[in-house]
Amino acid sequence: MTQRVKKQLALLNAREYRNRRADPPMDPKEADERFEETMMGEAQRFCYAVSCEKEAVFYGEDLFGFNRYCKGAISRGNFGNVVIDYAKILKSGLCGILDDVKRNRAHADAYANEFYDAIETFYAACFDICDTYRSAARKNGNDRLASALEQVPRHPARDYYEALVMLRFLSYILRLNRCTLLPLGRFDVYMKPYYNASIAKGVTREEILELTELFFISINFDTDLYIGIQKGDNGQSLVLGGCDREGNEVFGELSEICLKASEELCLIDPKINIRVNKSTPISLYERGTKLTKQGLGFPQYTNDDIAIPYLTSLGYELEDARDYAMAACWELIASGCGADTPNRHRVVFPEVVDIATRLDLVECKSFDEFLSRVDQRLEAHCNNLMKKYPSTYNDRTDATLLSSFISPCIERGRDAKNGGAKYFNVGFHGAGISTAADSLCAIKEGVFERGEFSAEELVSAIKANFEGYDEILKKVLSYPKMGNNDDRADSMGAFLMEKAVKYIHGKPTPSGGVFRLGTGSAMGYVTFADKIGATADGRLAGTPFASSFSPSPIAKLRGPLSNIKSFTKFDMRKICNGGPFTIEIHDTVFRNEEGEKKVAMLIKTFIDREGHQMQINAVNRDVLLDARDNPDKYPNLIVRVWGWSGYFVELEKPYQDHIISRTEFTV
Amino acid sequence: MRGRIFSIEEFATFDGPGIRTTVFLKGCPLKCTWCHNPEGQSFSAEYVRSPNGCLACGACIAHAARRADGSLLLTEASKNACPRELVRLCGEDVEVGELCERILSNSDIFHSTGGGVTFSGGDPLGQSEFLLACLSYLNGKTHRTVQTCGYASKDVFLRVLDHCEYMLFDLKIMDRAAHLAYCGVDNAIIHENYSALVRSGVDFVTRVPLIPGVTDTAENMEAIARFISGLGVQYIELLPYNSMAGSKYGSLLREYKPRFDPKRKLCWGSDIFKHYGIVSKKM
Ligand code: SF4
Ligand code: SF4
Repeated sequence: MTQRVKKQLALLNAREYRNRRADPPMDPKEADERFEETMMGEAQRFCYAVSCEKEAVFYGEDLFGFNRYCKGAISRGNFGNVVIDYAKILKSGLCGILDDVKRNRAHADAYANEFYDAIETFYAACFDICDTYRSAARKNGNDRLASALEQVPRHPARDYYEALVMLRFLSYILRLNRCTLLPLGRFDVYMKPYYNASIAKGVTREEILELTELFFISINFDTDLYIGIQKGDNGQSLVLGGCDREGNEVFGELSEICLKASEELCLIDPKINIRVNKSTPISLYERGTKLTKQGLGFPQYTNDDIAIPYLTSLGYELEDARDYAMAACWELIASGCGADTPNRHRVVFPEVVDIATRLDLVECKSFDEFLSRVDQRLEAHCNNLMKKYPSTYNDRTDATLLSSFISPCIERGRDAKNGGAKYFNVGFHGAGISTAADSLCAIKEGVFERGEFSAEELVSAIKANFEGYDEILKKVLSYPKMGNNDDRADSMGAFLMEKAVKYIHGKPTPSGGVFRLGTGSAMGYVTFADKIGATADGRLAGTPFASSFSPSPIAKLRGPLSNIKSFTKFDMRKICNGGPFTIEIHDTVFRNEEGEKKVAMLIKTFIDREGHQMQINAVNRDVLLDARDNPDKYPNLIVRVWGWSGYFVELEKPYQDHIISRTEFTV
Repeated sequence: MRGRIFSIEEFATFDGPGIRTTVFLKGCPLKCTWCHNPEGQSFSAEYVRSPNGCLACGACIAHAARRADGSLLLTEASKNACPRELVRLCGEDVEVGELCERILSNSDIFHSTGGGVTFSGGDPLGQSEFLLACLSYLNGKTHRTVQTCGYASKDVFLRVLDHCEYMLFDLKIMDRAAHLAYCGVDNAIIHENYSALVRSGVDFVTRVPLIPGVTDTAENMEAIARFISGLGVQYIELLPYNSMAGSKYGSLLREYKPRFDPKRKLCWGSDIFKHYGIVSKKM
């Protein structure tokens, strides 16, 4: 890390810069009233926001600028979480896009002209703020930035630095226009020409690394103003590797530099995703594991062998499927031409099973009969979700500026929400699959196969949150659970997923797209779990489900190998909207190269077995503190203590404290 | 045939090459004062209690029995008495075939990563017939590693060597009297077995637990270096002691009495090993 990077990082981490921001001059509610909900109204609102940003703000020896002048409480936009066409914007500049607008005016209808007028108004304000920064940079003696701003954003970027300035600028204006979740897409693909140009000009790889690090730092400024569901949920995910539109592997020097930058900085943004496939060499996983070791919870791996066929099966063209990127968390989205809404609703599997248990189980004479009731309720649940999706979007607000960056909105003269984008599909999460599968398994084993208790007894036990039903609770807890490579539980998961796929995958949406299904939970594993009482698997009321595609938190597991086998039994090619298999590994495992290599082998094993997506967490202090106070939540947290491993919750408190103190510096 | 184990760990990361499952066999002929796995020392199954969520109500103690030396021992009655179900039996009897099939359920993963199974303990040679039965069962099916302190009759040791591809061999204290004092047994047989291992051609790694003031002294390191380099060994792994070694004693109602100062700084002896042409690696 160079001195300059260190200084900027210190500035960021000190957070004092936040105190200097001016109070919001504009109340978003007031603005909502003042500006019409038309495309032009949106543009005018943006012009106003730009005018509130009175001065250029630089921090330290800032090479990028575009920091917020005012606190400007920006109400959350309602459109975002798409990957804009970075390649095109870098290649043509905003003036190039305006040329496209002019050309397309020739055959424009009234709607298109309104759209184009708005874009021109937006861009004029963009140029204003750009000029503010350019003259301020010149005045401050920041000639490098000033010169770059003579080229970008108006004109095409010519080298790596100019391209980065363009990205910083785009992020600034889009967020000023209320777009909260803003993924960075396939950085090592669209930045490669500019990287090559700089290298050809004699820029060294060390200089590229420094620039990349400074850029990564810059996108962490002001993130407190753009909060998604939680702090840190700002969608700045970045994808590395995978194949290009022609099918050739792209992971290369620049990808390597990004990993290194992320590893050195230990910042939450950008969140790194790596695309892999069965031919990915172990060395890449080893490289990624060095980043995992930092305890940030990424990189996240996504398997091209599953993702690409999944997307083509939904109607994405092969080239677009190969060019997929990540939305804010883990959802697959098309690069530059998609307006997919990848997380519209959730199939809550445990809720379906729970309702069937409480209402239908007692009447059922056989397990098969019960399963068919579950199936009926699942179908109704899925249909209901699909019905909830509105047939048209009236709330066009906030889509206009973003749409000018999504293909082929300009050509079509339509914003992304109204038919401008090539893809307009709708994704559903699939939450709590393990809890649902374990519950089915418990019913099958306990009521029908072993006859250890009756359906009535089980239902009463669940209704009583198992209070006074200790024997039944003990039994259901002892039955097979997903995550132990036991077909009795895993087959239940397969049943539920297969059926949900049947009801959702590829079904048409009212607005011309298709529905997609995934295995993510987002915050649903807590929020939905709260709404459901105790479940048949022995989960007590108030206990969360697993996060995304993972064993239930109450399952006592054999270990990571059985766990991986359990979760790689299903054909994921039809249920790959996103939602990773998540595994926690204590960071002491990463303490030397041998441990790191084995973690890499574990990830490769998951991918080679056709797992779709994986997240590995080197467990950190916060989790451990929580585990100390709530041991029941973490029965399977394994810690390497010395030459041996143990369950964290089984250690005595002083030793737990010791391990916690050891993790102090990992994050 | 049945044997007694106390844990199976999938994805054991420091117990040999590749991705491995480690099986911990109960019982050890040694009594190292620093032992980090006290529940592995006794050959019998024992009740242990988990400290987390403990109400300190004393019900388990009220139902405890006394060992010959007067110390307390948790019993089945303790288990039944605990309101939080924190007392459990440590030590499970398993059939050779059942255990091996469970291990082999992941043999495809072992195969693709160059891994396999590791038998550890306690000391797995303490249940030598069971160990040999498992090793024979697994012959040709997966890569077999044995982790041992080397205290076994020559005959047993050679038979085990014959049935494994890899050995992790612990050397502790070279001085006979000190070894007897800290580990409870004479070390002559350990050294003989070690020599046999080196001669056998079976792949192995030598490991030394660094115990402050006990095994990490200049004299001991020098003696180890001289001994192994005399046999032509040029690589050694050093496992640092840390103060958590005593964490499980309370669960057994035992007191951790290491008889050395656990807080003393460790010596790594890299120079000593280097002097003897040995590469030493910190684990
Ligand atoms: S282990 Fe159980 S019985 Fe013993 S003191 Fe704790 S809560 Fe009471
Ligand atoms: S040899 Fe290992 S298991 Fe046996 S007493 Fe010594 S440290 Fe414990």
